Amino acid sequence: MSLIVAAFGFGLVSMSIIAISAVGFTMQFGITNMINLAYGQVMIASAYAAYAVNNAGVSIWLALPVAAVFGALFSFLLNRLVYAPFQRKGTNLIGMVIISLAVSLVIANVMLPIVGYYSVSYHQNPGTTYHLGSIAVTGEQLAIIGVAVVVMLAIHALLRLTRLGKAMRATAANPTLARNCGIPTARVIDLAWLITGALCGIAGAVAGMNSDSFSVASGSEFLIPIIAASILGGAGSPYGAMIGAVIIGEMTEISAAIISPEYKQVVAFAVLVLVMVLRPQGLLAKRGALAAAG
Amino acid sequence: MTYYLTTILVYAAVDILACLAISLQFGVSGIVNFSFIIFQAAGAYTAAVLSLPRDTANGGFQNYILGLNLSFPLPWIAATVVGAVIAVPIGLVALRRLRSDYQAIAMLVLSVIASLVVTNTPAFLGGAAGLSLVPQPLSDKFNPYSDSYQWAFTIGALILAVIVFFLVQRVINSPYGRSLRAMRENEAAANALGKNAVALKMTVFIAGGAIAGLSGAILVGFITIWAPSTWLYPETLILFAAVIVGGRGNNYGAVLGALLVPVGFEEATRYIPPFGPPGLIPALEWVCIGGLILGFLWFRPRGVLPERRRVFPPRRQVAEVGNPSASRD
Amino acid sequence: MLASHHRVGKGAGVLFATLSIGLAACGSPTTGGGSPSSSPLLIGVIAPFTGADAALGPAYFAACLPAARAINNAGGVMGHMVSCQEFDTRGEPADAVPAAQQMVASHSNLMAVVGCTSDEAASVAPILNQAHIPMFCMTGQSEFNKTTLTYFHRLVPPDEFDAFAMVGSALDHFNYKKVALVFGNDIGSQAFVGPAMTALQHLGATVTINQAIALGQPSYRTEVTAMLATHPDVIFTEALGPTDATYMAEVKQLNNGVMLPFMGTSATIDPVWFKAVTGAVGVQTVVDKFTAVDLGVSFSGPGYDEFKTNLDAVASQFPAAPTYSQRGATLHLYDGIMQAALAMDETKSTDPTVYNPVIRDVGNGVAGSTTVNTYAAGVAAIKNGQKVRWVGAGGPTNYNQYNNSQQGYILVRYDASGNEITIGTLTQAQTAAIIAAGGG
Repeated sequence: MSLIVAAFGFGLVSMSIIAISAVGFTMQFGITNMINLAYGQVMIASAYAAYAVNNAGVSIWLALPVAAVFGALFSFLLNRLVYAPFQRKGTNLIGMVIISLAVSLVIANVMLPIVGYYSVSYHQNPGTTYHLGSIAVTGEQLAIIGVAVVVMLAIHALLRLTRLGKAMRATAANPTLARNCGIPTARVIDLAWLITGALCGIAGAVAGMNSDSFSVASGSEFLIPIIAASILGGAGSPYGAMIGAVIIGEMTEISAAIISPEYKQVVAFAVLVLVMVLRPQGLLAKRGALAAAG
Repeated sequence: MTYYLTTILVYAAVDILACLAISLQFGVSGIVNFSFIIFQAAGAYTAAVLSLPRDTANGGFQNYILGLNLSFPLPWIAATVVGAVIAVPIGLVALRRLRSDYQAIAMLVLSVIASLVVTNTPAFLGGAAGLSLVPQPLSDKFNPYSDSYQWAFTIGALILAVIVFFLVQRVINSPYGRSLRAMRENEAAANALGKNAVALKMTVFIAGGAIAGLSGAILVGFITIWAPSTWLYPETLILFAAVIVGGRGNNYGAVLGALLVPVGFEEATRYIPPFGPPGLIPALEWVCIGGLILGFLWFRPRGVLPERRRVFPPRRQVAEVGNPSASRD
Repeated sequence: MLASHHRVGKGAGVLFATLSIGLAACGSPTTGGGSPSSSPLLIGVIAPFTGADAALGPAYFAACLPAARAINNAGGVMGHMVSCQEFDTRGEPADAVPAAQQMVASHSNLMAVVGCTSDEAASVAPILNQAHIPMFCMTGQSEFNKTTLTYFHRLVPPDEFDAFAMVGSALDHFNYKKVALVFGNDIGSQAFVGPAMTALQHLGATVTINQAIALGQPSYRTEVTAMLATHPDVIFTEALGPTDATYMAEVKQLNNGVMLPFMGTSATIDPVWFKAVTGAVGVQTVVDKFTAVDLGVSFSGPGYDEFKTNLDAVASQFPAAPTYSQRGATLHLYDGIMQAALAMDETKSTDPTVYNPVIRDVGNGVAGSTTVNTYAAGVAAIKNGQKVRWVGAGGPTNYNQYNNSQQGYILVRYDASGNEITIGTLTQAQTAAIIAAGGG
């Protein structure tokens, strides 16, 4: 029993990391129609950017904004130089997915000779371990959860309270109509990529902090839970992604406690399959919102 | 050199079958099945556990179910059937009224789940180590290491690919194929005309699954090994890239795509001359593969051989009904 | 409409043909011009260089470069210079097959092949055997314990022997009684679990928990908590990539900053593993708490010195090469290449069907053979009409009838710079005794 409670505590950290990354991923999908399979690679690249700074003696918390900026710029350029031109050429949705796969191959294998095949770790101090019953969290993990909460609130504020957020929601719902209403969709999309790219960068650095060791190959490992959480919550819905992250994060850890560590991912994803069967558009998407326009 | 040639030809046959299956499911009826590799894997595993002897053989270092030591062609037929059968539950999940790319990614996760389940259940299909020492077809009668066997296998595989190609061509050019395309282009209209979209899609899905299962059986019969590392989710995407680069919606495009991407790009890049520290060239090979896909899609976004738009001439030409070119699609 | 269809098809066909011919044409790695005696020989390194196991290929390449250098400095193999080339299997058997076939098809001057790991050996070894290419493989899989492939040579013991050595060390050297097994769920690592459990149970110890962990996960905290709750004396582990680093860091965190003793297989004696784990748990923790079993090499003597000298010298080509100076695989593959080269010198032949059977003799020695530790010495002895036995970087070889060789284990720990320090040994005889007692 205490193992399950402990697992619940670990799940809080897992869900925080998945939440930050899934919200960015799902917003890229919602606002720009792009399933960005290179997202995991951008996360790792940002994690390495933070590592470069951290290795030079800077504290990991100061390196975190470096990762955010790196992720923002990288994602912005990715869209401007690769995705948007292909979309303008009329490449269909599936073609864009294939393109993002090709991009992820290129990124991963350009990184490999540069950073090497080594696994690296940040120089970090985990801080004291706090115990709450069977739950054990370090100071650093609490900080990570804090970062996730701040990011979620910021996204919420952005989407609900700012004009940019309204413009993003309008562009996500119907880009043509948005443009006709005078919303500068091109600029909105640029900003969307910058913001989601920053989320991607933060998520990469935080994932690197939490896992204590990462390598180029970790990029594709990160991607699957992110996709699962996004779909679970309803593709394109940031709040859905947050809920999806909570579910995937907790299910992963708790099933490792109850069943066995080998199946922890299987159970989490099986929940996804169940949702796909019962409510295929995800938890938060409105029924009919995603019509078969394939 | 011979064996490299036969290897490439067999891989071409397998990839052609896989791309035809995808083309059928995706190109003709618009189902984006990103769990595709499951079907090929299921076929391969089926053929393997039916051809292998009991798992206590060969020193007992493997662990798997069945092991019936059946001889060719039973394992291959069974593989095709299994591919068709598992298409049913997966199809029921896949055939929802959803945006294609969103649904596609959900299917991708399905293939990850399958991979995880097999990897973590060692007693089922060998776990992470997979299955090895799979007997090749008719290897008890002929020496599988002889040139003649290798060529016979290769030609057999290519013949199967050609047969399936013609079967699929017949389907596409039949009234049934026209129903499928109508359903893809405008499902509401097709439904209004009395075509049952779901039943049509399901049938096509099952057919694609069967072909994929056969491709898996051929591959495992050739390389005698099958492990989870062989069917990770990017494999599906490489095959989709092949179909899209080649041209969706038509079989010539699928064949060309199969020859270009999994065979052409992946093999040609092995010829990049070596330089630099170890690992540089292999990484560069993957960069080239990704770059080639991007390049082809940039210059020919609809594929090298895009689907022809079928325009039906007006009824006035009924007098020329005996003219073969007027009635051909 | 039909005409444009054909034009498109033709254009694409021409493009594809030009592309592949162009790529094939510029890929002729060995310049074969000149008289036959000056045509170079090639050693193929076939292993994963990309993908999840990308760290393995370079470790084996680091065996080829010093071997080639030593051979070339002594005049080559009967005047032929030797070079190394990598062939990426991309970490899975379906990609390994065309890689091996392409290697064989495009290079008629292959003298030997090294590498072939557990990821792909089962599919690659038969291909190389059929092509009559002597191979030295790094796979611990049991299916090769009694192989019928005559060109197959294995200078590392099967994985199960590692497991028995770990058990022996834990029980005899350290008196541990309760063991937690934490192994990655991939092919190479799971092979240890069964033999370890059998041996431990037969020898009276307890397995407190057996965890097969998925590689590369961001966190294993739940697994670690479950493991800590069973209070083991020691953790046996092999989980490559960042996995061991992540897991062990979390053990330390969740155990109030105190690390448990942990013991690794021979694959954990590797600069990449050392860098990953020390980065995550700190160098001192690894020095204090970590031990491993490694293949029984002494890292000293003229054979090892020759290897090390050449290894350091090739840093200009491969900067990370010197870090592999104590990697068992690197040492043994270097020895394999030397054995093949000396076999060619002895038989005065570049035909593998002639020199392959002699590799055994060069490794085990025959009556009246001279032991040599450097290639130059070997060439000189052969010129004098003698037969040679190669004892090189990895020590003496003992091929059994299946061309498998193993010479006992050493128990080691790391020092702060990542060097191996031997703290105990298990001879061949002792290992055999544990195997027998452990029901192997």
